[in-house]
Amino acid sequence: MSTPTPLAVKDIGGEIGHHITVTIGGFVFNIDTIWSTALAGAIVVGLGLFLRARVTSGVPSRLQLIWENVVDQVRSQVEEQIGPTAPFVVPLAIALFMFILIANWIELVPTMEKFPSPTADVNVTFALALVVIVWMHVISIRRKGVKGYFKHYAQPYKLLLPINVIEEIAKPITLALRLFGNIFSGSIMIILIGLFPTFLVPWPNAAWKLFDMFIGVIQAFIFALLTILYFSSAVETEASH
Amino acid sequence: MSSAVQMAGAFVGGGLALGGGAVGAAIGDGIAGGATIEGVARQPEAQSRLFSIFFLTVGLVEAMYFINLAFMALFVFVLAKP
Repeated sequence: MSTPTPLAVKDIGGEIGHHITVTIGGFVFNIDTIWSTALAGAIVVGLGLFLRARVTSGVPSRLQLIWENVVDQVRSQVEEQIGPTAPFVVPLAIALFMFILIANWIELVPTMEKFPSPTADVNVTFALALVVIVWMHVISIRRKGVKGYFKHYAQPYKLLLPINVIEEIAKPITLALRLFGNIFSGSIMIILIGLFPTFLVPWPNAAWKLFDMFIGVIQAFIFALLTILYFSSAVETEASH
Repeated sequence: MSSAVQMAGAFVGGGLALGGGAVGAAIGDGIAGGATIEGVARQPEAQSRLFSIFFLTVGLVEAMYFINLAFMALFVFVLAKP
C-alpha cells in the first residue's frame, strides 16, 4: 500500500472474521480453519513421535525436558484435584494443552491470512468444549449412577437447583467463548496494527505478538486446568466427601 | 428502522460492551493481584502456588472481557448494516 491514507473500517470489515470457505452438499466448511487444525495436529503428533524416537534415560534433550515438565505438572494437578481414580484425565489434559498451545501460536506466523489460528474460529472452540463437557457428563453418570447424577444438581441445598443447572449450561459456553475471544481479539489486533503507516508497524507488532504468545500459553493452561477441575467434580462420589 | 439509526445503535452498543467489560476486568484483575501480593507477603514460600491460582483467576476474569469483545465484534461487524 503506497497510499498514505489510512484504511477505513469498512475496508477491513470484510477481512476480520473472513474465512476461505468450501461448500459441500449444502454445508459450508471454513477450509482455512480445517487445514490450520490439521497443521496444528500434525505438529503436536510430530513432536510426540520425534520425542518418542529420541527418549533416553540418560541425559535428556531439551525437548524431552519440556515434555516431561508438562506431563509432571499435569499429573500433579490431576492427583491434587481428583486423586488416583481417574487417570485418563492426564493424557486428555496434556493433549488439550499442547494442541491449544500450538493452535494459538499458529496465527503469529504471517501467512497472508492463509493459516489463521484454528482457535480463532468459534467452531473449533465449541467443538473442543463440547467434547470435554459431554465426556464429563458421561463419566459423571457412570460413576454416580443415574439417580446420583440427577441428585447432585440439588446438592448442597435444594434451592440451588436452578443455579446449578444454569452453571452446567454456562460451562461449555464460557469454556468455548473464553478461548475464542482471547485468540480472535489477538488476530484482530494484528490486522489493526497492520493498518499503521509502514515505518511504525514493527515495534507494536513485535510487542503485541509477544503478548499474544503469553496469552496463548495462559489460555491453553486455563482450558486444561478447567478440564481437570470439571472432571474432578464429576467423579467425586459421596464416599470421597 | 433506518439504517443510520441501526448503525449508530450498533456502534454505541459495541462501545458500551467494550467499556463495561474493560472496567470489570480491570477491577477483577486488580483485586486478584492485590490478594496475591498480600498472600506472598505473608508467606513467601507459597509464591508458586499462589501464582498458579492467580493466573487461573486472571484467565477467568479476562474471559468475561473477551466474551464482551466477541459480542462487540458481532454488533459492529455483523449487525451494523452500512
